[in-house]
Amino acid sequence: MKLRVVDGGTYSEPVQQALERVLTDRLADGEIDPTLRFWYRERPAVPLGRFQAYADEVAVDYAAEQGVDVVRRVTGGGAMYVEPGAVITYSLYLPRSAVADDVAASYAELDQFAIDALQGLGLDVRHEPLNDIAHPEGKIGGAAQLRTGDAVLHHTTMSYELDTAEMLRVLRIGEEKVSDKAITSAEKRVARISDHVGASRREVVDAIIEAAGDRYDTVEDELAEAVLTDARDLAAEQFATDAWNRQL
Amino acid sequence: MPDGKLVEVTLTGTERIESARVTGDFFLEPPEARADLEAAIEGHPVDADRETLVEAIEAVDAQLIGFDPGDLADATLEAIA
Repeated sequence: MKLRVVDGGTYSEPVQQALERVLTDRLADGEIDPTLRFWYRERPAVPLGRFQAYADEVAVDYAAEQGVDVVRRVTGGGAMYVEPGAVITYSLYLPRSAVADDVAASYAELDQFAIDALQGLGLDVRHEPLNDIAHPEGKIGGAAQLRTGDAVLHHTTMSYELDTAEMLRVLRIGEEKVSDKAITSAEKRVARISDHVGASRREVVDAIIEAAGDRYDTVEDELAEAVLTDARDLAAEQFATDAWNRQL
Repeated sequence: MPDGKLVEVTLTGTERIESARVTGDFFLEPPEARADLEAAIEGHPVDADRETLVEAIEAVDAQLIGFDPGDLADATLEAIA
């Protein structure tokens, strides 16, 4: 399968999350080829899972003071704290026909090239169902999917050298919550790539692109200006608004 | 839950469940079906049994990922308690 690789473009968190909707829809409509996109962020952010309650996950006042953008994703799953340069996020936009119908199988399958790359760098990682990339010391990363009629979005974020102390301040991890049951998967320890291998973040991204090239017919590309225009419009209408981000 | 997912249910109502809110780090296809899951919980008496809730949740046309109708019914019963 031909796979465009888009490795560039720095956008705000609302535009990043809007791009997920725009690119997934364009793929479904046959307007773009299957694509692998790497993210470059402007500021610290919290991508919130689609079904999560904002105030349950985020230390609201602290995040506001620090200027952290909290943006609800189109995908389910859990909240993460991310910082420019300290995490690696990438997205796959694929036709549904290219992805296993079985959801659990598809997470394993679509994480595999990145796991190959990390193992190639000497990192002891494996896929852990449903949607984690796990190291013996903790969770390195997690994936989330959205399936539409004809497309699958699979996006993954991994910690390269995340400030985990700041993460604990921004996210309500380990805080006593109203319900004892509210112990989330985010409480699993976070492991960081940079603590275990000498490769720079750039080298890790290159290794992931190379591993993608072993599985797919990759070609370098960039986002069309029309895609970015749509994403900026959609960010203003939806992903930058409290109506979307604080709906729960 | 087996995959470490959290489902939380918040309810209002005294004799019957008037409103239900279902949140958490689960996955659901299509995502819009969250409202249908909430509607399936609403309207039951607060002493509804687990089986009744499970059946109502199972009737929703959606794929629950990382949790199942039993988990959601349990979270509902916990919210009632």
